[in-house]
Amino acid sequence: MTPAISSIRLPELAAAAATSSGAAQPASGAAFQDVLKDAFQSVDRLQKAAHASTESLLRGESEDLHKVALDQQRASLSFDLFLQVRNKAVAAYQEIMRMQV
Amino acid sequence: MLDPIASRLENYMDLLAARQKLVASNVANIDTPGYRTRDIDFQFEYMSHVDGTGLDVIEPDGLTVKNDGNNVSLDRESRLMAENALRFSMASTLLRGEIQTMKRAIDEGKSS
Amino acid sequence: MSLFGALSVSASGLAAQRDRATAIAENLANSETTRTPEGGPYRRKDVIFEPESQVSPFSAVFQAEFGPQAAGVGVAEVVEETRPPIMKYDPGHPDANPQGYVALPNINPAEEMVDLMGASRGYQANAAAMSAVKDMVSKSIDLMRL
Repeated sequence: MTPAISSIRLPELAAAAATSSGAAQPASGAAFQDVLKDAFQSVDRLQKAAHASTESLLRGESEDLHKVALDQQRASLSFDLFLQVRNKAVAAYQEIMRMQV
Repeated sequence: MLDPIASRLENYMDLLAARQKLVASNVANIDTPGYRTRDIDFQFEYMSHVDGTGLDVIEPDGLTVKNDGNNVSLDRESRLMAENALRFSMASTLLRGEIQTMKRAIDEGKSS
Repeated sequence: MSLFGALSVSASGLAAQRDRATAIAENLANSETTRTPEGGPYRRKDVIFEPESQVSPFSAVFQAEFGPQAAGVGVAEVVEETRPPIMKYDPGHPDANPQGYVALPNINPAEEMVDLMGASRGYQANAAAMSAVKDMVSKSIDLMRL
């Protein structure tokens, strides 16, 4: 797990989202924790790919600067998307928790 | 704090700076009798994770020696100068990207 | 930091090429000078370059200097022409010798102009090197602005 990802306390959050979505299960569609998990794995995968192509460029194994640039952008975009998904998840969780029944 | 790629990028930039300094030397001595072109074996130094101290200064092959013993080629040095500058720019931009990603992660974490 | 050392190396290159251009300009201006305070016609001047390691007071502090030592350039000496002057037959000239010949400096303007072009090219190359290094330092400073 890259330092950036681990710094946003994902494991606790995923667990919290799982418990709360367990309490209010949607009728159909993917469970919310899976959406979060997929987004997270996607980010990790893309970041690793970006780092690998960067290293390859620095070593002189490849001259494809455009590939590195695109890989970095992909990783960055998916990270941003993930952050937003996570924020929404936290907001949803907090709203659900506020609903005293 | 940052991903290991960051220290590789830093190493890369150190080597580029050292190389550019040698290019500056070569250009300054382009008309100096007897002066030989200086360089470093960039690939080798990068792969051996040298940190800028203890670099081996070598003389590149294939340069023609002029009548006064000088073998500096302005074409080669100009090309190398441009290449070093571009690579440095690329590496610094990639490094910025790493730093920015970390910052975003930290900033987003603040609100929760 | 390697790059500041590179700046002073390029600066020495600029200075050396400028000295060279000055000597050439002097030669061109004096290509017809028949009398000098030392006696005799003007003697062509030439500059000899030699590598000079750059030690600024600042970098001396950082003699834990990382990276390779770079050599700048300096003017070792300014030499005067040793070839004999050109003798031209011109009895009416105030500096003509008893045989009617005037001693003129052994300066070929075409040769001087080619040399001047070399100095100019060298100067430009050093200026470009300095500019490239300055950009790199700038990029490094930008890393702090995030």
